[in-house]
Amino acid sequence: MSEATPEQESDRVLNLGVDLGTSRSSVSASNGVRQAVESYVGWPLDMVARKVLKRDVLVGREAIDNRLMLDLHRPLERGLIKEGSDKDVLAVRELLKHLVSLALAGADRESLVVQAVVGVPAEALRVNKQQLRSALKGIVDSLMIVSEPFAVAYGLESLVNALIIDIGAGTADFCVMHGRYPLEEDQRTLPIAGDHVDEQLYRLITSKYPDAKISLHMAREWKERFSFMGAPTEKVWVVAPVQGRPTEFDATEPMRAACESLLPAVKETMLDLISRVQPEYQDRVRNNVILSGGSGLIRGFGLALQEALEEVGGGRVRVVADPLHVGADGGLALAMDAPPSEWDRLAA
Amino acid sequence: MARQDRIKRRMIRQVVRDNLETLEGARPRRRGRRLRTVLTVARVLFLVALPAALFTSSYVLSTVAAEWRDDVWQDGSGNVSPSVRAPVAFSEMEPLPPMDSNQSRVTPQPIDPSVLPLGLHTVVLDPGHGGENEGTVSPTGLVEKEVTLDIAERVRGLLESHSYKVVMTRHRDVDLSLKQRAELANDARGDIFVSIHVNWIENREVRGVETFFLGATEDPYLEALAARENQNSGYSLADFRDILEQVYAGVRQEESRQLAGAVQQALYDSLDAVNSTVRNRGVKSAPFGVLTHTEMPAILAEVACVSNDVEARLLMTPIYRQYLAEAIVEGIQIYARSLGEPNHLEG
Ligand SMILES: Nc1ncnc2c1ncn2[C@@H]1O[C@H](COP(=O)(O)OP(=O)(O)O)[C@@H](O)[C@H]1O
Ligand SMILES: [Mg+2]
Ligand SMILES: [Zn+2]
Repeated sequence: MSEATPEQESDRVLNLGVDLGTSRSSVSASNGVRQAVESYVGWPLDMVARKVLKRDVLVGREAIDNRLMLDLHRPLERGLIKEGSDKDVLAVRELLKHLVSLALAGADRESLVVQAVVGVPAEALRVNKQQLRSALKGIVDSLMIVSEPFAVAYGLESLVNALIIDIGAGTADFCVMHGRYPLEEDQRTLPIAGDHVDEQLYRLITSKYPDAKISLHMAREWKERFSFMGAPTEKVWVVAPVQGRPTEFDATEPMRAACESLLPAVKETMLDLISRVQPEYQDRVRNNVILSGGSGLIRGFGLALQEALEEVGGGRVRVVADPLHVGADGGLALAMDAPPSEWDRLAA
Repeated sequence: MARQDRIKRRMIRQVVRDNLETLEGARPRRRGRRLRTVLTVARVLFLVALPAALFTSSYVLSTVAAEWRDDVWQDGSGNVSPSVRAPVAFSEMEPLPPMDSNQSRVTPQPIDPSVLPLGLHTVVLDPGHGGENEGTVSPTGLVEKEVTLDIAERVRGLLESHSYKVVMTRHRDVDLSLKQRAELANDARGDIFVSIHVNWIENREVRGVETFFLGATEDPYLEALAARENQNSGYSLADFRDILEQVYAGVRQEESRQLAGAVQQALYDSLDAVNSTVRNRGVKSAPFGVLTHTEMPAILAEVACVSNDVEARLLMTPIYRQYLAEAIVEGIQIYARSLGEPNHLEG
């Protein structure tokens, strides 16, 4: 079903798949554009800052780089729009606007009909459905909001007897695919993911080397380069200042412990979800576990989960190699597959 | 691939339906529920007003009724004292027609959203411990007094967004005796009292939630727990015994049991989805000091076991505390709705 219908091929329609993540967001468009930004939105703090920045709002890396001049927001921080924060609602909106403008790639917005499938953290969809819908109003012509793990499943064509585990920065989202749009009972969200590893690593290194001056940001960078679970293949050396002087530390054990801190809860949830699948299909689901999201890139994670499956009869865990775009790509596929008659009902 | 295409088409239809539901909003459904709730108030007043008149709950119910029939119930001065209000409410309810006919009389249209579904107006939240009295501390450095305050603040936000009035026994890191907390709740004329704690259990494997209402216990585990939570209570042992005897049987205890049941069930149901091996440790009665002197239905919820590593780790994350808060609010709302059910207090 990936061929577009004739109406949609008309160059007046621009289909978008958008992944609004807690840490990174991306867009894939039917005109071939594929872009990702960090999920930060900032507003100049005062007139001076606005004059310097020559902009009313900054998004992504630019926002991080100018953070001292900005009121900076990461709107889906824990997979939720923060309760009672209008600024975070506005920030979600700016994030989508920005991604749409990237996808337009200079084309005239007015000449196009833009239809977007927007994937959001499963938890945000559960809690902030209505709020999201109104936050995203009026940016595109037609809008479909889906849960992010579903978009991933759709993109990978894993729609039946599959378990998607999408581990991002703020949350780990689980979704069992039964050939239907996932219901609440098919999904779980754990509030521990990449950010939690960063915090653990920071804490473990600081307690092992109290003199080292490190930041959460450094911990994250080290994690993204050296993360692993299980037996180390090589030592992890990191450099941090001690009384101003760069000093090398062995961070092998802290790294392992921080990464593995995700394991118990993830394993447990995985096994529990599988145990709730009808017995005759459990075998297929066990052999079709898909590990996605940036934190799925921790070396040895897939293997560790596969080992856990051994306890219940064995299985196979595949790791998505390009988690940054898979959700947006899935959204785009869905956008292209949806017939115009359905799109017509979903005016934004 | 024909099968795959069929599945995709079906899913797309489901996605669209889900989005359409959001677009249309939940308004029609909600209106249905409001209507039913308001109608059942009439019945409840008959069933509950009499036995409950001795206790806070009757005041609760009559207060609500007063809100949506303000015009009828207010005396000339505009303010109604609780003591006169209850009987007036009762007599005013009598001529009301049975539930299925002549709805317009019972149901002001449209219903003001600020009118709560039923008799709960003021919720007193009691974040456990504070100040010098830190409560339980987990190996990961989680301190009970901080966790309970954080969760209580979240509960407060949610309740206020549902137009409840919320009174907190503490907003800050201060040490209050249990007696002070209870007095605060009574002065604020709270309709219910919810004390929030986290637990420590010797067996570190155990995790789960349990909710208490006031009563005696023979269970040594509960005695130990109560002793721990009762430290710095401001009561003497003799006080305890007296108070217990006064409140033992009676509507307040039964109301508390129902409130505890609703909160416990909501906590368990909602946590089961995120914390799959959470144990439902159930509703129990135990002699907690903070529950003795409160004049309204009162419960104490031990919302997590920080002695368990997984649970302590979950508790470190805001989203999990948000879940807990949502569940507590859900439980309170279930209880509020149950006040409208005809067999309330019969079970
Ligand atoms: N190679 C890597 N190893 C370990 N963690 C990584 C790696 N690359 C990215 N991450 C982590 O993945 C998380 C972001 O994943 P992503 O799926 O983009 O999150 P979200 O969907 O929540 O925005 C961050 O915590 C980041 O530090
Ligand atoms: Mg993601
Ligand atoms: Zn306590």
